[in-house]
Amino acid sequence: MLLFLLRRVGVMLVTALCLTFVVFFLTNLPAKLETLAKTQAGARISDAEVASWLDRNGYNQPMLVRYGEWLGVVPGWTREEADGTIRGRCIERMGPEGAGARCGLLQGYWGHSTRFRAPVGEVISTRLGATGWLMLWVLIVMVPMALIVGIVAGMREGSRTDRSLSTFAIASTATPEYVSGVLFIALLASSTVGLSPLLVSWGVIPGPVLFQGNARSALDQITFWNFTLPVITIALYGMGYVARITRASMTEVMTQQYIRTARLKGVSFPNIVLRHALRNALIAPFTVIMLQIPWLLNGVVIVEVLFSYPGFGWTLYEAAVNNDIELLLAASVVAVIVVLLTQLISDIGYVYLNPRIRVS
Amino acid sequence: MTMTQTGKRAVHPAARMFARECRDGRLSRREFLTRATALGVAAPTAYGLIGLAAPAARADTPQMGGEVRMQMDIKAQRDPRTWDWSELANVCRGWLEYLVHYERDGSVVPVLLESWEASDDATVFTLRVRQGVTWNNGDAFTAEHVAHNIERWADASVEGNSMAGRMGAISQDGKIRDGAIEIVDDHTLRLHLSSPDIAIIVNMADYPAAVVHPSFTGDDPVANPIGTGPYRPVRHETGIGAVIERNPDHTWWNEGNGAWLDRIEFVDLGTDPSAWIAAAEGGEIELTYQTTGDYVDIFEAIGMPASEVITAATLAVRFNQSQPPYDNVNVRRALQMAVDNETVLELGYDDRGDVAENHHVCPIHPEYAEMEPPEFDPARAAEMIAEEGLADHEFELISIDDAWQAATCDNVAAQIRAAGISIRRTILPGATFWNDWLNYPFSSTEWNMRPLGVQVLNLAYRSGVAWNEAGYANPEFDALLDEANSIADADARREVMLKLQQMMRRDGVLIQPYWRALYRNMRPNIGGAEMHPTFEVRYQHYWKS
Amino acid sequence: MEELGWLAIIGRIAQQLLPVWVAMVIVFALSIRFKRRLGLYGKLFDSNVGMVGFAIVIFWIFTAIFADMIITHDPLAQLRGMRNAVPGSPLASPGDHYPYYLLGGDSLARDVFSRAVMGAREVLTIAPFAAMISFMIGISLGLPAGYFGGRLDTSLTFLANLVLAFPVILLFFLLVAPEIQETAIPVVMAGILFLVPVLFVSVLLNARFFTQPMKRNLYVGAALLVGLWAYSGLAFNADPLGVWGMRANLLNVFVAVVFVNAPTVFRIVRGITMDIRTRDYVAAAQTRGEGPWYIMMWEILPNARGPLIVDFCLRIGYTTILLGTLGFFGLGVSPESPDWGSTINDGRRLLTVYPHPALVPALSLMSLVLGLNLLADGLREESLKD
Repeated sequence: MLLFLLRRVGVMLVTALCLTFVVFFLTNLPAKLETLAKTQAGARISDAEVASWLDRNGYNQPMLVRYGEWLGVVPGWTREEADGTIRGRCIERMGPEGAGARCGLLQGYWGHSTRFRAPVGEVISTRLGATGWLMLWVLIVMVPMALIVGIVAGMREGSRTDRSLSTFAIASTATPEYVSGVLFIALLASSTVGLSPLLVSWGVIPGPVLFQGNARSALDQITFWNFTLPVITIALYGMGYVARITRASMTEVMTQQYIRTARLKGVSFPNIVLRHALRNALIAPFTVIMLQIPWLLNGVVIVEVLFSYPGFGWTLYEAAVNNDIELLLAASVVAVIVVLLTQLISDIGYVYLNPRIRVS
Repeated sequence: MTMTQTGKRAVHPAARMFARECRDGRLSRREFLTRATALGVAAPTAYGLIGLAAPAARADTPQMGGEVRMQMDIKAQRDPRTWDWSELANVCRGWLEYLVHYERDGSVVPVLLESWEASDDATVFTLRVRQGVTWNNGDAFTAEHVAHNIERWADASVEGNSMAGRMGAISQDGKIRDGAIEIVDDHTLRLHLSSPDIAIIVNMADYPAAVVHPSFTGDDPVANPIGTGPYRPVRHETGIGAVIERNPDHTWWNEGNGAWLDRIEFVDLGTDPSAWIAAAEGGEIELTYQTTGDYVDIFEAIGMPASEVITAATLAVRFNQSQPPYDNVNVRRALQMAVDNETVLELGYDDRGDVAENHHVCPIHPEYAEMEPPEFDPARAAEMIAEEGLADHEFELISIDDAWQAATCDNVAAQIRAAGISIRRTILPGATFWNDWLNYPFSSTEWNMRPLGVQVLNLAYRSGVAWNEAGYANPEFDALLDEANSIADADARREVMLKLQQMMRRDGVLIQPYWRALYRNMRPNIGGAEMHPTFEVRYQHYWKS
Repeated sequence: MEELGWLAIIGRIAQQLLPVWVAMVIVFALSIRFKRRLGLYGKLFDSNVGMVGFAIVIFWIFTAIFADMIITHDPLAQLRGMRNAVPGSPLASPGDHYPYYLLGGDSLARDVFSRAVMGAREVLTIAPFAAMISFMIGISLGLPAGYFGGRLDTSLTFLANLVLAFPVILLFFLLVAPEIQETAIPVVMAGILFLVPVLFVSVLLNARFFTQPMKRNLYVGAALLVGLWAYSGLAFNADPLGVWGMRANLLNVFVAVVFVNAPTVFRIVRGITMDIRTRDYVAAAQTRGEGPWYIMMWEILPNARGPLIVDFCLRIGYTTILLGTLGFFGLGVSPESPDWGSTINDGRRLLTVYPHPALVPALSLMSLVLGLNLLADGLREESLKD
């Protein structure tokens, strides 16, 4: 088991290394650096000014050297200005003794965000916290809903309940977040159309709108009114898939011999489902839910941008749009860790749920 | 705010001449105010010259206290002189003030200056610094500080310092010319220009011209907010928002005439206006920074009336003449001819502005000369393109991904296509667009308003200047422009201007479909927050009832 | 002229769609008549779910095919006075145009109906094509990885996991940027990715016919000729005859979508191959002395077709959604393009005031993806009954 874990962690590190290099390469193309200079020093600056800005900020070294700097295996750049002050990658962080020192990932320094003008570690950790809340609520809503839909549909394959629930599940996977989110805002969070004007005219709600179509205020305090729409938007799209896997797994279990035996013995139907079928039927959905988490990241980016909720997805978007190299690198490291960690958990969980499999 | 003009001669002779023209109806009131105040005439005096009383600043009495939340992009801060977005300046307006302000009615009023005056030939400007102004660290504000700021502006060695280009008449070799600034006493200084430039004071109203304390190192004006204004920053997070509150430890020189609000919060909701609407519906914002197109009506429908201002801001759909096939004047003329500007205004900008005439001089500019509307003949356009052997050529029109700019270019392209000329569109994201904006063969660029007509022509169409995106190089044009710059008399200049405008059109420099009206939507209980033609958000004058 | 009522609008739309109805009736009549002889496809007509899904999908396919006959206006033309016009609005000055905007006008005064119809063509050329290339790549790499195992498997699996560990959106932002288009990266990637299908078909034919050199040379030669011709045009825009070609930004989008999809297909194929490898018929072929490529292409692949066809349908739907996501972030697809993703994104901002410009493409996209999912479900059910 320990060996297995060690190997997985090793693979994780190699993957992260490869990925960050790819990201580093793609964000450090000359045209991208020019974009960076223009967003940092002024949109309408001349080519000469771009060159001098890049030179002054240490972007003129070979790409591999700078990747090394970021990793912390190569000393950070230093440079003496015309007025005699010494500037450099590590000096900004550690003061004058930073000249010639290494400061990178290995030293625990994630770099500096050019977009937010703040240390990357700080930005990522606060934003991850915000997304954590979002994901927590998404899972709280999505998992039980998906399991119930899947189990109820899978109990009696081919019944009318099964048909309608399955169609609902399929329809929900066919509705991407950028469609459903917009529809929800129009239906529930607009004072001119949808449900809100109706409720206002009945005097049911005090404010002009039922839900808030913008989740910015959730940053200070999460309420039912400002968090519902983003949560259900993500949950709905993710739910369909999990529900279908659960249904498939449930129908398979329901045809097994031991279920038939239990039925013949006269065990009541609810008892069969809850006592005998459920545990075996939940193995597949469990792994899928875990693997679904990184996949939900897509939805998180769309929804956080749509509802202007500054979480991890929003940060990723901002970093990508503004070519914020070090922030983007950190974001991809986090994303890789999330992907691989959920894979690991799903593998381990699979073993625990299914006694027939052993890790070797 | 009433300003009294001091000095030996209260009114510049040219200003008296402008006043005469204005009374005769040859000059609009707005044009007159811009020009007269640029020469150092105080706004009330200027109004007096044309026989009017200065309008009362506000009809409504402001109320003390309260908090306002406004939608506005919050970008990473940097040295004010390198600011490239009005938003950067607007955040800091509560503590970083300006020497002069450009007003909605077109006048230029003194702020940290008490007054200024120009010599008859507009080469020597005497600036009188306001007495009794202190920095919020307790230092007194002096002429020394003004000189320091002007020197900073003239320093072209700083990347992105856009003030340097505006201080051309007092600089040399990329820095201030020796002897250009003469400090007369603690509260008076004199600028000696190498050539006449009546725009130099107007330029000091531009948003990068925020006045900073000598201790400012050129980094982040929010981190170290020393200024003369009544507010101070509390929180500033790029991309998220900023909170500004009244500074309790500082006595503002203009106390009693502003700083009504206790707190103002800027909320950055990204560039998607539908997110702003959602936020406004949820009560998270009370006014917008700028609303465009259909959103103006939508905000009005949810109880946020619009404030409108007519401007000389525009979208220049220009050809780059150094790139084939646009090096051929017939091609440029043909494409111009394929586009009906009125249709562009209707479909591309929702009819919110005035039709323009393809020469980038606005009727609200003082020196505008009236011209017949540009020719619209799609059939002839297609013929001309065919004559040049480009019948099968596919043109490409590039624009930034901003909603109204993309829509305008889409419509220009649709009209060119309707004329039977093949064209495709390319939209680039904001961050990428500016990489190459000067060199795209056929693209659109947003131009904000400049108070004088010659200013934009100098900035964008003179041969070889930095922002000459049209690649326009015509010695005859340059010579005429020089002539126009040296003429103070409006009618005389208008004659030259007519030639310049005709030349612009004859050479097919750009398709310039319309002049924009700008809008801001706000809740009815917000006062003093009208839309400003150059996007200024002077929240020290906002209030809430 | 009067504004049209909803009944009139529906009637006129149905009339415009006439070629689609005719084609659908023919397909259904023929398919049901001969369903016993049509294998898995024929069995589809035993399942209600499958039939509904199939009907929706071919509706859109025929709409895309006959788009030129169906549209009432040029999807890019902007007519004055029709800005955000409500469905059924008559034109201000019809001239020789169709006199109505059947589903209204969008914020640039273009006909929403014609754009949705043309959008079907856009979507149905990119999505299935991208899914197909992804499949060929996934199959070409997944078969040997699953069949041979060992180092090859380990390294290919690592590569696939590497791509899969990337958040899709980040990958899109990195790959579908205008700056990247200027570099050689998309062309190089296209050069590699598009070569795989050509090799795939050649190997497929070679493995089958290598015992008959004449036939082999003919088939493989023809496949290589056509394949490399298309390849030169699509990957390098260097087709000497100018038939094949792809705009730089479209190529960019295409490469990114294929790059994201191929690893998933690879994993599925690899898994199935490892399973089928142990079957008796594979052992029989091995003892017969068949080459590994013959076994992979002609023994394993046909037996893996069930799950692969199902996944193919799902993947077209997923690709459609991905293209919409790109449109949502304003990446890649050419502006003015009537494809559904960007149309939804353009229209969504004004949804509360003018719902039709966004709702029409949104419902189209949802119905197509729903149809593909139902079709996949039907196919899965029927293939399980084998």
